[in-house]
Amino acid sequence: MKKILFVFCLLLFSALSTGCWNLKEPNQRAFIIGVGMDMAEDKELEISSEIAVPAGLGSSQVTGAGKKNTFTVVSAKGKDFMDAGQHIQTELSRSLFYAHRQTILIGQHMAEEGLGKYLDMVVRNPKSELRSVILVVKDGTAKEVIRADPTFDPFISTTLGSQQNALGMKPFYFRMLLCDAFSEGTQPIVPAITADPARGYVYAGSAILDKDHGLKLIGFLNPEESMYDNWIMGKQKDLTVTTSIGKGNETISLVVQSLKHRIQIKMVKHQPQIHISLHGVGSIVENNSSLDPSKDDDLKTIQRKQSQEVEEKVRNLVGKAQHQYKIDIFGIGERMHKQHPRIWKTLKPHWHESFPELPITVSVHLRYRDPGQTNSSL
Amino acid sequence: MNSASQNSTNIDSDLPISGHLLNNERMLRTIFERCSDVVFRDVTLQGNIRLLLIYVDGMIDKDIIQSTILKPLLYEGIPQGIGPIDSIAQMCEQEMFAVLQTKKVYTFHDVADQILQGNVAFLANGEDSALLADVTGFEKRSVEEPSMEAAIRGSRESFTETLRTNTTLIRRIIVTPTLKMESFRVGKLTQTEVVLAYIEGIVSTSMLDEIRSRIEQIDLQGVLDSGYIEESIEDTHFSPFPQMQSTERPDVVSAGLMEGRVAVLVNGSPITLIVPMTFWDGLQAPDDYYERFMYVSLNRWIRYLFALFALTFPSLYIALTTYHPEMVPPKLVLSITSLREQAPFPTVIEVFIMEFMFEGLREAGIRLPQQIGPLVSIVGALVIGQAAVQAGIISAPIVIVVSAAGISSFVIPRYRFGYPMRILRFPLLVLSGIFGLFGTAIGMIAILSHLIHLSPFGSPYLQPVSPNRKKQLKYVFIRKPRGRTS
Repeated sequence: MKKILFVFCLLLFSALSTGCWNLKEPNQRAFIIGVGMDMAEDKELEISSEIAVPAGLGSSQVTGAGKKNTFTVVSAKGKDFMDAGQHIQTELSRSLFYAHRQTILIGQHMAEEGLGKYLDMVVRNPKSELRSVILVVKDGTAKEVIRADPTFDPFISTTLGSQQNALGMKPFYFRMLLCDAFSEGTQPIVPAITADPARGYVYAGSAILDKDHGLKLIGFLNPEESMYDNWIMGKQKDLTVTTSIGKGNETISLVVQSLKHRIQIKMVKHQPQIHISLHGVGSIVENNSSLDPSKDDDLKTIQRKQSQEVEEKVRNLVGKAQHQYKIDIFGIGERMHKQHPRIWKTLKPHWHESFPELPITVSVHLRYRDPGQTNSSL
Repeated sequence: MNSASQNSTNIDSDLPISGHLLNNERMLRTIFERCSDVVFRDVTLQGNIRLLLIYVDGMIDKDIIQSTILKPLLYEGIPQGIGPIDSIAQMCEQEMFAVLQTKKVYTFHDVADQILQGNVAFLANGEDSALLADVTGFEKRSVEEPSMEAAIRGSRESFTETLRTNTTLIRRIIVTPTLKMESFRVGKLTQTEVVLAYIEGIVSTSMLDEIRSRIEQIDLQGVLDSGYIEESIEDTHFSPFPQMQSTERPDVVSAGLMEGRVAVLVNGSPITLIVPMTFWDGLQAPDDYYERFMYVSLNRWIRYLFALFALTFPSLYIALTTYHPEMVPPKLVLSITSLREQAPFPTVIEVFIMEFMFEGLREAGIRLPQQIGPLVSIVGALVIGQAAVQAGIISAPIVIVVSAAGISSFVIPRYRFGYPMRILRFPLLVLSGIFGLFGTAIGMIAILSHLIHLSPFGSPYLQPVSPNRKKQLKYVFIRKPRGRTS
């Protein structure tokens, strides 16, 4: 008994003798919920941290003093992430806490310079969150977007992930950027937003980063293009296709679910031939045309017409990738690496050059499972 | 203790009864000096034979004495035409008294003892023995519904303070002569009857011998409840976990007996002990064996989870919010922080204050007269719950944490098995307040190693999980459904 007591006291004193231990009450911490990275004019890194102000949140019981803002944004320049962090800390009475960072925003200027060398802290620091949503700010700086006051949530940083969900995409987390960056042949396609005076921000498609050159920004895809690209990459959960059909302004809208994507590679005379096939099953949600989906002939017409239209758009996207950006944004290289690892070894060094020359064919098949609740339109 | 009176009885007690009635009477009157409830009654049979009845008023059934003993003696006298009889006592025993249990004793000690237990003693002139007739009859509580261990299905009987009633309740369930009930007397002054009940052939004899010898070694002045026996024979006092199951339900005792365990019944206590106990017994309810297996298996899991919850929730809360906020979902940590903005104390102190108040409320609630019972809940809910939060002394999540953990400890079906969970919560709180999750883990490891180390009466406390008895696990994690055969 005495021995146990002795050991217990020893433990207790050893804990007290250290003088500092990492106990911190939640209200001694400044929770960083979003980070914006910009390149200032003098080529210095500028970090803007969105920090939650808990006193402004909820707690209706705190009466008297006027309602505080829910967040504050503190910006500071620095040589690197943590250096800037130290400068931010000088403005705050609570210690910075990075583990709840929901969003990383990258200013366009910063992305153009290549963000590879600045992201080490996000991976190395154990207190860093790998499930932060990462986005590129098109035509603007992260600093201005992160100040936006969103419609629903108290913070912009928590809304960006849910917005991607609402758009039918899988949220693009930082760890996915890491996976893509360390993969053999997938180029990271990062969602992009742009500043908007009314709403704070608008979804603006995707940014194409070149992982072989320090994650430099190459160009943007518009929202529709990124939707099809995400479909090919398997990052889209559902999408809505609206096509004009027949004469005049007659349109049909289809919500496509259970999306399937396949990249087939055939080796013909040691030259790869790529075939991208996309399948989708959906239901008609709007029909302003004279066609009657309950009739077999009309249904086939609609299906064929819509498939053709989507196919055309995907073909345009492929053309854009091959000729405008000259970069593999479909993960074809990765597919090649998995299917033909030996050939990939020979192709990899000059994949950038050979990709624009690849013969890529596209086929899209959309099917209707459900014509909707009525037959022909009114 | 009054040593003088004790000494006087001790000196007298070993003496044998002499053949002289007047001497005997004087002796007994000395023993029962100043005992106003002991009655000496003289009866003279047919004018020449003097008979002395001694009994304790209130301990005997007066009707039986009057109708079956006194009436025949006084009105009919000694029956005529019977053969030679050695003594009055033998005659009374064999031919006159319509009483089931009688016996003869030869020393004053035994006579006094038996009288105090509710027998009537007969002394006749010229005889060196006393005849005792069992006519016990005293006020007792009837069998009522169990108040501490309610069950939705299953019997509504519970034990009473009377040992004989309790043994009867078990006998009525287990109908076999192999159900043995060994009787012991414990306590110098109370002479409390303790009965060891077990089923021969199922019970492990080594364990039985161990229990028997431990009971025989007990040397107490008095035994007022089965708790006295429990504490005297348990393996170690320094464990928060009960090492004997205690129950007021005869069906639970019977189930234990059929599993080869030993029941210890104590006169004067409605709580029976079952030896040995395992950790899992503490989390089982009688309904587990009466209701259909699917419901009860799920209920069991709810209990296991809540038991763990009761033990760890406050310390986990402290560890997570103050040491590892990265493990709490962002929105939750922000709302906790926003509710903590005004809090003047550190989280650990807050939890301690609330735990303290909760334990106080619980203790107050147990012993309050029924009329003011609701008062405590009003004061508790309003003052401690609402006002403390509104005044900004305690942050709201703490109230939720402490009351949730408190309620969870009451999910444990055996009330006293909730004690260890509530007690051990405090060291865990200290550990997690100093070391964070690391401290909680150390605390849990310490508790677990203690549990593994514990083996009351040689049966490991955590079995069948540790040591692992795979075949029995189906009675712990689920309750295997019964087929037509067992």
